[in-house]
Amino acid sequence: MELKEKQLVTRQAEPLADLSHQPEILNGSHALIRSLIAEGVETIFGYPGGAIMPVYDAIYDYQDQINHILVRHEQGAGHAAEGYARLSGKVGVCLVTSGPGATNLVTAVADAIIDSTPLVCVIGQVAKHLLGTDAFQETDVIGVTMPITKWNYQITSADEVPEIMAKAFYIAKSGRPGPVLIDITKNAQQELMSRPFSYTYCEKLVSYHPRLSPKADQVEKAAKLINEAKRPFLMFGHGVQLAGAEKELLELVEKTGIPCASTLLGLSSVPVDHPLYAGWLGMHGNYGTNILTNQCDVLIGVGLRFDDRVTGDASRYAKQAKIIHIEIDPAEIDKVVKAEAPVVGDAKQALQMLLPLVKPNDHSVWRNEFRKYDAMEDEQITQPELAPTTEKIKMAEVVRMLSDKTKGEAVIVADVGQHQMVAARYYQFKRSNSFITSGGLGTMGYALPAAFGAKVGDPSREVVAIIGDGCFQMTIQELGTIAQSGLPVKAIILNNNYLGMVRQWQQLFFEKRYSFVELQNPDFITIAKGFGIAGHTCSQRESLSESLDQLLQSDKPYLLEVLVEKEENVFPMVPSGACVSDIRLC
Amino acid sequence: MTTYTICVFTENTIGILNKITILFTRRRINIESLTVSETERKGVSRFTIVIHHDSREAVEKLVRQIRKVVEVLAVFGYLCDEIVYNEIALFKIATPLGSKALDIEIINKVHKAWVVYWHLDYVAIQKTGTEEEIFQFFDYIKPHGILEFVRSGRVAVSKSPHSLVDYLPEAEWEYYL
Ligand SMILES: Cc1ncc(C[n+]2csc(CCOP(=O)(O)OP(=O)(O)O)c2C)c(N)n1
Ligand SMILES: [Mg+2]
Repeated sequence: MELKEKQLVTRQAEPLADLSHQPEILNGSHALIRSLIAEGVETIFGYPGGAIMPVYDAIYDYQDQINHILVRHEQGAGHAAEGYARLSGKVGVCLVTSGPGATNLVTAVADAIIDSTPLVCVIGQVAKHLLGTDAFQETDVIGVTMPITKWNYQITSADEVPEIMAKAFYIAKSGRPGPVLIDITKNAQQELMSRPFSYTYCEKLVSYHPRLSPKADQVEKAAKLINEAKRPFLMFGHGVQLAGAEKELLELVEKTGIPCASTLLGLSSVPVDHPLYAGWLGMHGNYGTNILTNQCDVLIGVGLRFDDRVTGDASRYAKQAKIIHIEIDPAEIDKVVKAEAPVVGDAKQALQMLLPLVKPNDHSVWRNEFRKYDAMEDEQITQPELAPTTEKIKMAEVVRMLSDKTKGEAVIVADVGQHQMVAARYYQFKRSNSFITSGGLGTMGYALPAAFGAKVGDPSREVVAIIGDGCFQMTIQELGTIAQSGLPVKAIILNNNYLGMVRQWQQLFFEKRYSFVELQNPDFITIAKGFGIAGHTCSQRESLSESLDQLLQSDKPYLLEVLVEKEENVFPMVPSGACVSDIRLC
Repeated sequence: MTTYTICVFTENTIGILNKITILFTRRRINIESLTVSETERKGVSRFTIVIHHDSREAVEKLVRQIRKVVEVLAVFGYLCDEIVYNEIALFKIATPLGSKALDIEIINKVHKAWVVYWHLDYVAIQKTGTEEEIFQFFDYIKPHGILEFVRSGRVAVSKSPHSLVDYLPEAEWEYYL
């Protein structure tokens, strides 16, 4: 049986007729699961319900070949699939029911499109003859998700299943990855296909041609600008990890001596202790990287989209610089900043083509300018944050101690808020693909399910979620999923008893009028225990080290709550709407 | 405000109209007129969308966003002097007993419009031309009493000597003969 099933994973479309123990003709639900298996899907994150029950009935027969994980809320399924995709590099798969199941998933779909995360979401729908009749749990999911999916499609007959699923996976993972949503009507799940099941991989489509290999003249122009530059500065984003271009990126900066900096989602692509790594960009990024953005003469953007949290006021962003924009999505070119030299293509291929054309250089004088600002930042912010005199623990200490204890090699999954910015600032990433967070959408509640999904995606890595007290309560129910799986997902709540990031803005920009940001929190540890997850609270600096050891040494899921300084602010900061060089240290 | 005509070639599938128009909605760009029909190639639709905009850059960004829709085969944006374009309009004109007679000679020769349907109480006149020509005729015919008036969206072909369909991706297209 084992062997015969494996044949399905080969590239030839093979009729199932050889499998004497299986009915020759499958229904739509079986065809769907067979399609997932053929795509190499190992894990589905899902939640059943009326309109998807035939598919759940089919999964029952394939439990030896495909792992279904029951989440506690469909948003959790979506974020878990995202975390899974981000760490494993594979497509994350979710399966949910119609109506409320689908709408609960919507936040994660929106999150995945803006952070270019490949998902295939399969959603049950009422039977074809009921469409448009306001049937029980009928929601126009195609309509709802049109603007937030890379592609969506409604399957209404069983025969469509293999071809559409192949197309779904191809679209989700090729080019700039993104979420694909497949709405499958109940009749299509139940009815028999009119022909034997066979699966052919989709490798191209008539419409939709992602460009991977850039045009030579674009690369030549970029190389010329780089070779003539006196103060070049390279920025990289998520595209580098998506393309697996970390090695090429390092080769390029090492050959040219160009200092480089990362966006939030690019973090960990270059080890923080690399001499050419200048730091992090954007609203809470480093001092020098932001200021010198407005002093470089050539700015090379690799696999990023110049998000407004990176650029601040775009009309005052790097106006002095000639911009090279290496990006797989042509719609990103000139969207926010005008590129003198656009290079449309996959980051890895573009960098490979660029490498032989750039001249070796050093740029040490220019590079030293970053050090000057680093020293100021270090003295005014980093050192005081890491060695505080406050009674309460500071977030930065926790993150840095965690970083030291895990040698910068853990996968950090940060939620959204001050703790996220602190995690990004103070964790010293040594290994690529180690930072997972909701960047573009800033979805509170992302981290717990995403950390779980990440751990499923690569159980060999240590996964630690860093979560705010507010965020934790948005997807707290996924503790149940984690407990049921038994996977050693580690979570740290940095509890400041506030919606801290909003409180910071109210303090700085709304005259300290704290409007609905203080939380009366539950006893998180008791809640975790209720779910069967061990944990404890740390409130004293002296016991922090021991607490982290306990968290890290547990071979089961573990929750550590750290009570931190209530009203601390994250700096440096580029105030919203300001220009990057107006970054504040306090 | 400049008038732009955007031609979009797509696969002819359910929902594609929505997938295109939501891109305009999100950017708060009003659609002045829209025409969609299948082309000489089976399964390929052609959209002609007319918008007014004061930023060419914004229109270029919009065109690139339309290109991202998976079912889209090709997108072209034009200024009015780069295309040959027309609309079609139908006028239902009251002709009660004793009313002023229609001057068919002027209607035909000056306005290049044709009576396409006769009824005891009205006639239907068809006028093709640019928006301005149609409104010139509208002003001319108005005193007769317009019972109904309808204008199609714009249809347009580019003035370039190339065939636009040459820009479509290679595939084994089936043609209508
Ligand atoms: C779903 C959602 N709702 C609201 C926000 C706005 N928001 C951003 S950060 C934040 C506060 C987060 O609080 P907490 O989890 O305690 O983190 P802290 O900033 O205190 O570290 C809020 C409300 C958001 N990003 N996402
Ligand atoms: Mg908080």
